[in-house]
Amino acid sequence: MIQTETDEQLVRKSQEDDERAFGELVSRYESKVYSLALKMLRNPEDAEDVLQDTFLRAYRGIKSFKGNSTFSTWIYRITANSALMRLRKRQLPTVSIDDADEREAPINIADWAPGPVEQMLNQETQAAMTEAIEALPPEFRQVFVLRDIEELSNAEVAEILDLSVAAVKSRLHRARLKVRNRLATYFSEPRTRRAMGAQ
Amino acid sequence: MMTCKEVLESLSGYLDEDLKQDLVVEMKKHIGVCTECRAEFDTLTMTIKLYRHFETPEMPTDCHDRQVKVLELEKMRRSGKGA
Repeated sequence: MIQTETDEQLVRKSQEDDERAFGELVSRYESKVYSLALKMLRNPEDAEDVLQDTFLRAYRGIKSFKGNSTFSTWIYRITANSALMRLRKRQLPTVSIDDADEREAPINIADWAPGPVEQMLNQETQAAMTEAIEALPPEFRQVFVLRDIEELSNAEVAEILDLSVAAVKSRLHRARLKVRNRLATYFSEPRTRRAMGAQ
Repeated sequence: MMTCKEVLESLSGYLDEDLKQDLVVEMKKHIGVCTECRAEFDTLTMTIKLYRHFETPEMPTDCHDRQVKVLELEKMRRSGKGA
């Protein structure tokens, strides 16, 4: 039965030109790849481009995949790299990663009045959350999305991005502070001003 | 007693339960008495919670269909049957 085949078995068969096996790997991972790309790029067209690019690269490169990592790590790595290239191309005027730790102290965190998560997650807040991610330098965004949205472990993120665990932790911490500071600014605006800004 | 700067630097590790036990005890002690670090802790915790509930739309079906076509074109190209 197809369902009982492991990724490793499917990879091996794909390496022997079994098109069905590669198709099964695509079916297993395409929604995950699309979801990760969308979380990183926040744009459905770009996410679809990354999806297609990822599986084309995987198809072309499957024979050279040595199995030193799992297939899921490998495919996530291709996805993260493809998304990173697109982010760099459309690089908005964000600060570089080297300068990115300036002003990590929030403006006024005491004004942030969080309630239950479900109550806070309205459309307006989600738009502010998206903006906060978009303001991150691409290398920080990769780590933040993989760790805090995809909920992978530090070790998994390190393997996907080919970084040390210490580097992941450092980028994650700085990314979290930056995102939090932007949200703090958003939440500390008077409600009426926020509502007007949302129109 | 840890300084506020030290607490802030270790906050992510603390939230991820990735610190040595003696440091955890120190962090707890500091956050228990320092209003500013407590606010740092609360807001960073809330930030992570918010993003863990962040919704992402599902992949559209036509996106899957186009993906299949792209791979089929590549297979044809590889076997020399198509452009």
